[in-house]
Amino acid sequence: MTAVMELRGVHKTYRLGQHVIPALQGVDLTVQRGELLALTGPSGSGKSTILNLAGLIDTPDSGEILLDGEPVTGLRETPRTLLRRDALGFVFQGFNLVPVMTVAENVDYPLFIAGVPLAERRERVAAQLVAVGLQDHAQHRPDALSGGQRQRVAIARALIKRPRLVIADEPTASLDSHTADQVLDLMRERCHAEGAAFVIATHDSRLTRRCDRVLALLDGRLQ
Amino acid sequence: MMTTPRPMNTSSGPPRGRGPAWERPGARHGKWLKFAIQNTLRNRRRSLVTVAIAALGTAAILLAGGFALFTYQALAQAAARSTGHLIVGQPAQFTQDEDTPLQHGLDDYKTLSTQLLADPDVRQVLPRVAFSGLISNGDKSTVMLATGVEPDSEFAVKGPFLNMVAGEVLATGAKDAEVMLGEGLAKSLKAKPGSSLTLLASTTDGALNALDVTVKGVFSTGVPDIDKRLVYTDIVTAQKLLNTQRVSTLGVFLKSMDATPAAQQRVARMQPTLTVQTWLDQAFFYQSVRGLYNRIFGALGLIIAVIVVFVVTNAMAMAIIERTREIGTLRALGTLPSQLLRTLALEGMVLGGVGAVVGAVIAFGISMLLYVVPVQMPPPPGSSRSYALNINVDPAMYAATVVAMVLLAMLASAWIARKTVHTPIVEALAHT
Repeated sequence: MTAVMELRGVHKTYRLGQHVIPALQGVDLTVQRGELLALTGPSGSGKSTILNLAGLIDTPDSGEILLDGEPVTGLRETPRTLLRRDALGFVFQGFNLVPVMTVAENVDYPLFIAGVPLAERRERVAAQLVAVGLQDHAQHRPDALSGGQRQRVAIARALIKRPRLVIADEPTASLDSHTADQVLDLMRERCHAEGAAFVIATHDSRLTRRCDRVLALLDGRLQ
Repeated sequence: MMTTPRPMNTSSGPPRGRGPAWERPGARHGKWLKFAIQNTLRNRRRSLVTVAIAALGTAAILLAGGFALFTYQALAQAAARSTGHLIVGQPAQFTQDEDTPLQHGLDDYKTLSTQLLADPDVRQVLPRVAFSGLISNGDKSTVMLATGVEPDSEFAVKGPFLNMVAGEVLATGAKDAEVMLGEGLAKSLKAKPGSSLTLLASTTDGALNALDVTVKGVFSTGVPDIDKRLVYTDIVTAQKLLNTQRVSTLGVFLKSMDATPAAQQRVARMQPTLTVQTWLDQAFFYQSVRGLYNRIFGALGLIIAVIVVFVVTNAMAMAIIERTREIGTLRALGTLPSQLLRTLALEGMVLGGVGAVVGAVIAFGISMLLYVVPVQMPPPPGSSRSYALNINVDPAMYAATVVAMVLLAMLASAWIARKTVHTPIVEALAHT
């Protein structure tokens, strides 16, 4: 298998007033292409910090991060932004859809900012909406959708760019169990269909049971 | 070793970070603009208040500016009508005091008038004899400031610039020596049309001369201080009183005010020994009013612009704070800070632009309404005559004001957004 993302000896601390709080203490982690990896652990164990670092929205104090074998730790802001735009997808616990955009516009957004031609965008958005079962809701606003539907939109938005890695932070936490199962099935199906790796931070044991690999975190260390 | 971002997994592989060459650029800008418009509609009440204040500010600036332009135009026309667009005289006439009347006057002014009338932009040339002296009714004498004119030409060219209170205007070729008196002067001398008065003045030789005249009419200039002293007589009477054939100056009236600078240059070239001034050189009242109004209305415009900028800035600040989490999301998805700044500046542009356009429409409507429903203004300081309020509609002023409003709103929005779009993404996503 090919490693999509690697964290090597990553340390991260946060300052809270005079206190220095260690969030990650020498984490080594490899995410393989196409795998569904779950990170579990209690609150404050460092799950979100790993997601932030893997998602290139935060930087480690020390250690190295590689994306497709290339070091990305010291990249400046603009190339990091472009890497996020082109190689990474995000699914948030609160969906984080843009409320003034329609479902289709939300899904289209990553392609639009990447400068993909309109005709190709339309084609890919339509296909992605079919894949997540929301083709009949393309022109609806997010506030007209249920929680499960919104998360499916978020998954479609994350996958539309055909990313190498999708970062999902508690993607089922805001959903009831039945909807959470549907969303998880969708993520598994899209993960295998698109070949993208998923790193999912979760407390949900039903979700972890259906992931390819589960890693537990405690006090900033992988168990 | 640093890596560089690899192209997104697209089938056609567009260039990174910008729109492909075959994509219509306007379509991309249109999408950002649509996003900006959608964002302004999130909180409609707040946007409505912002637009309303921008509209009122724009309307206030345009109405104040239009009133100032109307005032400048009216004063400029009055000044040019009083002196002529060009004033031709001996150089010393404009720089030195005279020891004796018409010491610096023009000889053979009729030949000069004929030469000036050959210019295609010249409509009329009016000679003037300016002098001072005493005017008496036998019992009472008072100081007068008199002007000798060619009555038919003068009153034909200048139109109804005097308000006749009693009697008639002077006429060329009258058998008797006649005068027109200012209202205050007539009242002081208890004179009315038909009254006999005596003019006393120094001749060009320095001797004192007197001439009996008949009052033909009484007028008001609207300025009481002038009406207490001003006398019009025909040029023949003036020259007879002063014992000269000279005139003080020639007033050159052009077909349009815009022709003034070019005509001044042509006449100056044609008469190199003479001085050619424009109406503006002698319009001291116009210049002082313009200077005063420019400061007053400039300060007013600045205050209004600052208020509008503050309101737009405040509205955008609230909108941006409310959307900090969303901005963090868009940054996580790969939106560049410059792209976010652009869309937030466009939101400011939408608010400021809609407000400015609505304000321009309001100002235009009020300006037009004043033509249909006239509003009388009280007499200005030093005048006894009220006037109809008019607001000029100047396309250049409208365009400049709208563009300035839009730019100010855009810059204010971008300025207020710059910090948030550069907030660390983790921090922005955690914003509640």
